[in-house]
Amino acid sequence: MSSSRDKILATVKGNQPEQRALPELPVAAGAAAPGAAGTDHSGAFISMLESIGGSAYLVSGYERIATILREQYPRVGRIISGCPELAVIAETGERYADPHVLEDVGLAVLRAHFGVAENGACWITEDRMIERALPFIAQHLALVIRCQDIVVDMHAAYEWIEKYVPAASGEGGADSYGFATFIAGPSKTADIEQSLVLGAHGPRSLIVFLIDEGLSDAGFY
Amino acid sequence: MRVGLFIPCYVDQFYPQVGIATLELLEKFGCEVVYPPNQTCCGQPMANSGFEHLTKGCNDLFIKNFEEFDYIVSPSGSCVLHIKEHLHGEGVAAHLHGDGGDRSTKGEGHSGGRGTTIPRKIYEFVEFLTDVLKVENLEASFPYRVGIHQSCHGQRGLKLAQMSELMAPGFSKPEKLLKMVKGIQLINLIRGDECCGFGGTFCVAEEAVSVKMGKDRVADHLHNGAEYITGADMSCLMHMEGILHRQKSTVQVRHIAEILNSQL
Amino acid sequence: MKGKDHAALADEFNKDEPRVNWHDETLWWVRQKRDKAAHKVPEWEELREMASRIKDNVLSNLSEYLQQFEAAATANGITIHWAADAAEHNAIVLSILRRHEVDKMVKSKSMLTEECHLNEFLLAQGIDVVDTDLGERVVQLAGEPPSHIVLPCIHKKKEEIGEIFHEHLGTPKGNADPQFLTHAARLHLREKFLTRRVALTGVNFAVAETGEFVVCTNEGNADMGAHLADVHIASMGIEKIIPLRKHLGVFLRLLTRSATGQPITTYSSHFKKPRPGQEMHVVFVDNGRSTHLGRTDFRSSLKCIRCAACFNTCPVYRRSGGHSYHTAVAGPIGSILAPNLDREKYADLPFASTLCGSCSNVCPVKIDIHEQLYKWRQVIVQGGTAPFAKKAAMKTMNWVLSNPSVYHGAGKAGRWFMLNAPFTVNNGLNPWYKQRDMPGVPKESFGEWYKKNKK
Repeated sequence: MSSSRDKILATVKGNQPEQRALPELPVAAGAAAPGAAGTDHSGAFISMLESIGGSAYLVSGYERIATILREQYPRVGRIISGCPELAVIAETGERYADPHVLEDVGLAVLRAHFGVAENGACWITEDRMIERALPFIAQHLALVIRCQDIVVDMHAAYEWIEKYVPAASGEGGADSYGFATFIAGPSKTADIEQSLVLGAHGPRSLIVFLIDEGLSDAGFY
Repeated sequence: MRVGLFIPCYVDQFYPQVGIATLELLEKFGCEVVYPPNQTCCGQPMANSGFEHLTKGCNDLFIKNFEEFDYIVSPSGSCVLHIKEHLHGEGVAAHLHGDGGDRSTKGEGHSGGRGTTIPRKIYEFVEFLTDVLKVENLEASFPYRVGIHQSCHGQRGLKLAQMSELMAPGFSKPEKLLKMVKGIQLINLIRGDECCGFGGTFCVAEEAVSVKMGKDRVADHLHNGAEYITGADMSCLMHMEGILHRQKSTVQVRHIAEILNSQL
Repeated sequence: MKGKDHAALADEFNKDEPRVNWHDETLWWVRQKRDKAAHKVPEWEELREMASRIKDNVLSNLSEYLQQFEAAATANGITIHWAADAAEHNAIVLSILRRHEVDKMVKSKSMLTEECHLNEFLLAQGIDVVDTDLGERVVQLAGEPPSHIVLPCIHKKKEEIGEIFHEHLGTPKGNADPQFLTHAARLHLREKFLTRRVALTGVNFAVAETGEFVVCTNEGNADMGAHLADVHIASMGIEKIIPLRKHLGVFLRLLTRSATGQPITTYSSHFKKPRPGQEMHVVFVDNGRSTHLGRTDFRSSLKCIRCAACFNTCPVYRRSGGHSYHTAVAGPIGSILAPNLDREKYADLPFASTLCGSCSNVCPVKIDIHEQLYKWRQVIVQGGTAPFAKKAAMKTMNWVLSNPSVYHGAGKAGRWFMLNAPFTVNNGLNPWYKQRDMPGVPKESFGEWYKKNKK
């Protein structure tokens, strides 16, 4: 007696049309190694992110990030971060046995790998999320990338993921994550009469910090 | 060049002036035009209703009437598209029938016994003027505000004008010709290429939606100040005219051939 | 028992003209947003061609890709199930729930589960399913099916949603503010995410190369469900496979721009391995797809990525609403998929179109939808499902149009009646006449004029 699997595969195989070749994909523009000299996409990225309801800050480093977060979220309650540099304002370095304990997190601050200029998205793998639920369950989310780590489009993004995104174990490439996501702006819906509302089930706001080490801090304090 | 004139059945019966204008213009441009008297229909009303298998008689008659000409020209985008896509001779890979799962070269809907060159040499009236006769100017005058209705089969099927769905450069063959008419003022529409809702038997089978679509098209033209609505397909115009008359509007429809052939 | 067909349902829908205008304008606006987004991508038409060819390759290698995905996903700790039909899919989902002794779950948007009528099945088995996509939750509370595959409650006005929320969530009566209502839904559904142990999601794309699958949402509901649940079940039609991960670059650039005009959804989540301690299941569903794959004329409808661009552009859909199609997936793509599921029940759908061709030209994977609508009409009629009156009328038409002398006579007679006895056509039996005047009657046909003047 053949299983559903056998039956389905047999019917599919019998009905498959004649071979059609895969097309050539566009050569990924700007898929240079992280940090390599090349076009700066940060302007396009910031503009796109703002148009989709996110905010962006160009910063010199984590001190500046901490200052901005204190200003923007003075009463946010519990803050958790994957960046040890933010220990002064957040819980860092913890593991949580059960994601449900993150239910009351007001703000999560996590490092992402890179941004995508064409849509304002950031790619983040689970090893940087602390818990898979965290980037979604927090009321607000902030992501940190280096300002030179921005690719122009999704073709370049997948090239980067293939070649450069390291796993927690330090190995690179394709097999490195069990879960990962592109996050583009705060959660949103337009299901009620096409009225855009920011803040559906995921975070109600999103900030992306772009660290530019060349920036000076003069005048910010 | 010998041009066989194909006049759609409803134009023949209800809008002979469109056929006359088409004929006169073609002759003005030096064509020898012949109207085979025993023509009837392209078969589209039956085919679009799922009765393609009944169109053999129509197809045979069409081939019999028109095979001999250098060109066949018709003032109807939908009829021309239908002939181009569905008039087959024997031996040509045909429409699939039955469950859509097997290839057959025979079928009731195809003319048995002969091939045909007609699909390659049949032209809708506007494209014949722009692409074959390469008309660059017209002795015509129509000093009125005119809205162009882009009939779907002509536009998306025969590529008479660019469609808004595609990210591609704009062009419009009807507009190009109309711009040669003295005094004409072409209006802009809110939705430049939405369907009018005629759709063949759809116009009665889905009467509510068909009329609503027609009313919306008419409203767009009225909103933008049209005194006349024109296009390359009399079926669309007939449908909109029916709505205009019911609304007691003073706006009238004119087939593009009539405008291109009009004098002061 | 035969239900009402599209024409009858559309007729009812059109009784409220201002509402039709509202529905039409709303969806046309979504089409315009798509246009605006597509214009910003200079290589848009090349992308469509690439996506189309990738999907053609998928169809021609589907059995291999399914097995490749199964092997990779299994190696990553995901359990793969194969469901021949809707009933088997539903039974598999139920068996997973029973094994975990769970009777409450959350679900994010999956049109496949609509197709399988999963919610009704589970309800009858005592399982409480909460749809967590805001639009889906609205229609669930309203006791209706979704009317659009991306915007489930696009047919509902905010006042109506306010009423539904007042009744079921206790929001203040008369409050129709989208911001307020969304926040109420956020609180209501957050409680569900936090307390339910099983989450079911759909699958936008499944990558054969790596065994991962991608779920795209703006709301984050799929993720909230999955990452808090002990069990994540992902249901997918077998045609949702794509060959290589880098192909996601093509599809993720096309999908949301086509659907809503956004460059990408807020979340494009790639699931590859279960969370430690979690069970992750993928259910492959056939339900007629393998048969459809064998239809030369119609198989390309399996390329569909469920973006609904065809819905938004369709002048008939916009003026008749999704419920007029009386099927899970409505609109143009639904009209060429549904007859595969039930030829008789959905025989009306391929005729709910003027064949204008707009749908085929917004489709990101270049399905020739309007041509398939035409071809389905031939299949349906030749299969014998045309009404007797229509068959008789067409046979008559064929006879008239194949015989020039009969045609000339009929034309002359028809014109005589219209001129001298207009009441014979200008009456309630003539559907044309209901809202349109008949064309005027000329004194002679073109053929008669030509004979007189040119011969």
